[in-house]
Amino acid sequence: MRHWLRVSLHLCISLTYVLCTEASNEHFHEKLSLRSLRDGKVASTFTFTTVLNGVEPRHPETLGSKDASQHYNVFPLALGQVLREYGVTELHLSMNAGKWNYEQWGYPDELSAGTGAELWVWMGEGGPLSIEQRWDGLRNALSGLFCASLATMDEQRTTSPSMTFIPEGALPIWNRPHLLRHASLPSEHVCTENLTPFLKLLPCKSFSGIASLLNPHRLFDSDWHGMGIHVLWHPDKGVEIRLAFQSVSDPLRVSRSKRRGMCLSLKPTQSSSTKSPQDWSFRSLFNRQIDRQCPVARTSTIEVALPVNEAYSLEPSPSTVELNVARFYMTNESVPLDINFRWPAEFTYPVNPPSQSLVPLSVQRTLRGSSQAHGQVSVHLRNHLDESVQAMYLETMPWLVLFYLHTLQIKLDDAPRDDLISNISYIPSILHSRPTTLQALITVPPKATIRLTMDVTKAFLRYTEHPPDAQRGWDLPPAVIVPLVNGTLRGPAQPSLGSRIYTPILLVDLATPDFSMPYNVIIFTCTVLAFLFGTIFNLLTRKFVIVRLTLNPGCTVHDL
Amino acid sequence: MPTGRDPETERDGLRDPSQLYFQADHVRRTIIAAYWIIIFLAVPLWWHTTSIERLPLPSALVESQAERELQFPIRLQVPESHAVILPRLQGLLREKTLGHPERWKGLDLQLSVSGSAPTETEAYKLSHRLGESLIDKRQFIHDLSIEQMPELSALLCDLLAPPPTHGNLVFQYSPRYRLAFSLLNEDSASGGYVRTWNITAGISRHISPILSRMSVLHNFTLESQVQFHAPLAFEPRSIPDGEYGLSQEDLTVFVNSAEWTLSSSVSNDAVIHFVIFAPSAKRRPLRILGSDGAPLSSNSFLLPQWGGIYILNAPSSMESSRDLSSVDLDSIFPTFSEQLITLLGIPRLPSSVQVRHANARNVISEWQLDALMRRRTLENTHGSQDTLRSIVRLVDQIENMPFGASVRGDIQNSLAALEKAYAEASTSLSHALTSSAEALTMASRAFFDPGMLALLYFPAEHKYAVYMPLFASAVVPLIATALREFMAWKRQRRGIAGGQAPPIEAAPARG
Repeated sequence: MRHWLRVSLHLCISLTYVLCTEASNEHFHEKLSLRSLRDGKVASTFTFTTVLNGVEPRHPETLGSKDASQHYNVFPLALGQVLREYGVTELHLSMNAGKWNYEQWGYPDELSAGTGAELWVWMGEGGPLSIEQRWDGLRNALSGLFCASLATMDEQRTTSPSMTFIPEGALPIWNRPHLLRHASLPSEHVCTENLTPFLKLLPCKSFSGIASLLNPHRLFDSDWHGMGIHVLWHPDKGVEIRLAFQSVSDPLRVSRSKRRGMCLSLKPTQSSSTKSPQDWSFRSLFNRQIDRQCPVARTSTIEVALPVNEAYSLEPSPSTVELNVARFYMTNESVPLDINFRWPAEFTYPVNPPSQSLVPLSVQRTLRGSSQAHGQVSVHLRNHLDESVQAMYLETMPWLVLFYLHTLQIKLDDAPRDDLISNISYIPSILHSRPTTLQALITVPPKATIRLTMDVTKAFLRYTEHPPDAQRGWDLPPAVIVPLVNGTLRGPAQPSLGSRIYTPILLVDLATPDFSMPYNVIIFTCTVLAFLFGTIFNLLTRKFVIVRLTLNPGCTVHDL
Repeated sequence: MPTGRDPETERDGLRDPSQLYFQADHVRRTIIAAYWIIIFLAVPLWWHTTSIERLPLPSALVESQAERELQFPIRLQVPESHAVILPRLQGLLREKTLGHPERWKGLDLQLSVSGSAPTETEAYKLSHRLGESLIDKRQFIHDLSIEQMPELSALLCDLLAPPPTHGNLVFQYSPRYRLAFSLLNEDSASGGYVRTWNITAGISRHISPILSRMSVLHNFTLESQVQFHAPLAFEPRSIPDGEYGLSQEDLTVFVNSAEWTLSSSVSNDAVIHFVIFAPSAKRRPLRILGSDGAPLSSNSFLLPQWGGIYILNAPSSMESSRDLSSVDLDSIFPTFSEQLITLLGIPRLPSSVQVRHANARNVISEWQLDALMRRRTLENTHGSQDTLRSIVRLVDQIENMPFGASVRGDIQNSLAALEKAYAEASTSLSHALTSSAEALTMASRAFFDPGMLALLYFPAEHKYAVYMPLFASAVVPLIATALREFMAWKRQRRGIAGGQAPPIEAAPARG
């Protein structure tokens, strides 16, 4: 009876599923937002959103049984299969290269800006497969899908800092709770081989629409670049996949090298004399323009942030302008499209950068100490506001670096202030298996800098645990600082968190052996053993006799 | 040895070394012997711990199983009223059997007259009726008069042992298949593209009936996707009348695996692809050319062991996009179901034979299904026999190859499953198929066991090179001392035989 109920329930689910995946329930939206930064650089964010209306994430209880057929129009099948195979409710994968300059650039549009790869997933508990098995399978599937070494984010790098990484969407209410799995791989470098599979997930790939601007030669030449894959669920909308690519390009650098080329050719053109180095266009940023519209995109929007109190010119004229944002809604008539943004005033590089930071806190983290066994982690937090700021501080440190929590000191102007840190939650690492998770709530007084220090020891690795380029050292994942929006922590269930700030990654130098060692050790040990053996054996079996020497007259002992 | 004290030594205040206990000859010899005994005892232990695990292979069993042939009894019953035709039919069928030994391999045809007793369900029955030939379950209705015997025997031959499909079109047997339907627009931005399709209707009308019939043999998973930019890797050639053509060579490189993401990444199941390819507006209509260069009327083709492709040439006067309704798919999906039947190796009925109560095309009769199951079982058993034989040959050939318990377990399981398949062949066809599939899976798992590769690149020479620094330097003094002691002992014997006192060695032994 129960079996039949379950079967009919499955039938219902699969039937609604089939009905829901009809064409009208899949939407694809594409958006590009561009803004000029204070230091003359240009930040561009490509966002491709696919919504699968009325679909719920797969319930983990159904993982063992046969899944309903998957029929998609614009939703990427390759990713959809992975999500359903492992019952993933929410997924965030980001791969970035470079260091995001929070003071000068402000917050990025997509918050995951830590160097290297970062993957965090919310999954419902229960069902025939454990969370660990699904997390393992998911990592392997994603590393195959995106040609990245995500499979190496094993349990030695997996943590569950659920206070900092709260779900962006909603979690369905099932009888078992949802759990977080988080891992980061700072040494992973994003490149063309990751962008190609990323583009294949888009309905128009890079053949038409906004995605045709994704030119790997230019994107990976930029000062900072990163891609992100975000899967969320909204009860009223359904499953949403957001594929994002962000880059910070430097028109100054490009125009400088162009000028140099022009000086060499001694043929200055007319346009170069009137052109400011800060000007940008699609041609100069991506070396491409949008030639054709993506036919399946519901909306194709380009947003350009307009400068305040400064002269500019924008070509062609945007569809709407509101609140310092110019919007272009692309239609078949508007292509080919190449947006030109010009600054009539000559650009002067801010030699003394404005002291006002664009984020409330600036963070500096260093690993001090020259020894290969001991060191000290030191974090400087500076508050730029006139009021005190509370922030969540998270370290997810691999076991390579071992914290001594009792040496944790927090100082304001060299005076210890233990009252500034509270709500410490600490999961110590286990050598060779589990990383450290340290979360704490830190208060930074107005316009002040506090210093956090903690002693660490560096682990001694087994011979086989060293990576192929062991002499380079190990990259340590970034720490995450999340300023609280209204300065209070309402409780772990619903903290009102602001945007995440990632610190730069660290490099730790561990004791590295000489890798030609094994054969040397064999030879050396054998020589010592053979020497000892020979000596003892000789002593045991030697026959001692007394030899008498009778000296002939006239001979001395020295003559012998 | 001289006994008593040497007065000269006594005078110098020295003790005679030969008087010391440990300088006694027998002690020294015992010490040397002890070393050698330890070495001789340790050699087998060392040999055992450094040798590769090679369990004894059940080679004799494998050989004997490989010799065996599966025999499927096929019982054909002639109605009592027409018992007279039995000898004639038997003779004709025997002729056919001898004429095509490959087709009838493993099949054992038994003719009998059906009695009044309730017949077995597995038996095939013949019934008499004038007019067209009909199939009803396992019953074959045909004109049973004696002059129709040559035709009847030919039909029975095609039904029970259908001719194999030429070429390697048919997929290898797999318990699970993934059916991937893809609608590929070559370039949707150039206009006139297909936006959506009513895939669920197409599948339920044309594919599901076949899949449900084939569920005894395989499990199927379905998936579909639409792509809006799926470029070809080559330029189709231009032919007269503003049309474009695909030559026979183009068809072999038609699938652009680099740009089309068709394959699934979550499972290792065999994937059968069905692709509707809509050429871009610039290259319409796209025709398939024959070997003579003239366009063919067909616009679909089949890639062996990969799937089927249908080229959908949209009318030239078409709006910017369109949706394929279930009516549109009704003209495309019959091609796919035909291709699926070919790819799965389902035998065709002879053209003159009809299925009774067939309300749809492509109804698969019991006779076809049985013939396919017999063929698949035979293929699986042959496959597993070949694989097992190869493992035995491989392990015998490469002496450094480890052969552990997991591989042996797989081989034994495979042999057991084969044994089971032989036993079940006469009782239940579907059980025999399941067992043969299991035998094949186990045999291939054993063949590809990663444990067999472990020490392949760590040869014995390497081992000696590692141990040489210890062995060479430790064994040389042992041998030297043993030899010297042996010489001394011989000299001593000779001395005793000659009645002389043995000369004292002048020089101390050098280590």
